Amino acid sequence: MDLKGIMDGITSDIKETTKTLFETMIMLDLNYDNASLVDETQIKTDVIGMVSFTGQYHGVVGIFCSKKFALKVASSMLMMELEDFNNDVKDAIGEVSNMIAGNVKTKMSEKYGEMHLSIPIVIAGEGLSISAVNNIPTVSDTALSCFSKDPWLMTYFISEKEKFGVGLLLKESK
Amino acid sequence: MPKVLIIDDSSVMRKMIQRNIQQSGLIVDSFVEAGDGKEALDKIAADSSIDLILCDWNMPNMTGIEFVKALRGSGNQTPIVMCTTEGSDAKVEEATGSGANGYITKPFTPDQLKNKLGAFLQVK
Repeated sequence: MDLKGIMDGITSDIKETTKTLFETMIMLDLNYDNASLVDETQIKTDVIGMVSFTGQYHGVVGIFCSKKFALKVASSMLMMELEDFNNDVKDAIGEVSNMIAGNVKTKMSEKYGEMHLSIPIVIAGEGLSISAVNNIPTVSDTALSCFSKDPWLMTYFISEKEKFGVGLLLKESK
Repeated sequence: MPKVLIIDDSSVMRKMIQRNIQQSGLIVDSFVEAGDGKEALDKIAADSSIDLILCDWNMPNMTGIEFVKALRGSGNQTPIVMCTTEGSDAKVEEATGSGANGYITKPFTPDQLKNKLGAFLQVK
């Protein structure tokens, strides 16, 4: 199976799922920006929400955003103005990554067989970067060497004048 | 008056579901919350007046499908509606085959929630 072809198809799934999520439950404007394969050393972010999946294909779906945008998302979901980056904000970003990953996984399952999702993990810091060793993500807040040549398929959106990315790391299971 | 148990490991999602139900016009008197299936079984054991259960799928300690099987295995027939990102046909069939009475996929609007829960709750 051509992994590049699969990833191209998944980009439209990520766009559709994220759009629906923002229209129905987050209630913030959303505009698609671009999608590209990104070397992990290029990813710098404050907040990462990740859900992994296993099956015929395995990998990770992640949301990468600033703390400021995470606060906006959580405030909108809870319909209250949050000023501190507390557990509610992490919980909200975890649920956003869960809903995107769940819907992308459902669409992938129709074509590539049933897959299983993990529960979300949210990591917050400042200027985080990410590396993957055999598709198991690790995070560092310092510059780091690239442990994997696998690129992330990053789909970027703009909402509330903030750019954020939804990333996918995908591998065929042996 | 109806009492609804919401089982979800996300406290933000539990709050959002409550708000969506209230916005949808469905009549609910009170909500009970649980963060996983195991906590939900404890809440049900302590409170026999729960009328409807909304249940996430992927949770720590005890998943939603494990909860459904455990509750039905105990003979409890309180209606359960799965409320999850797991939307594949296989998952829906697994849930309903295990004793769930309904299924709604996240994300959803108050109107979609109303349509799915209208069979179990009255509308204002």
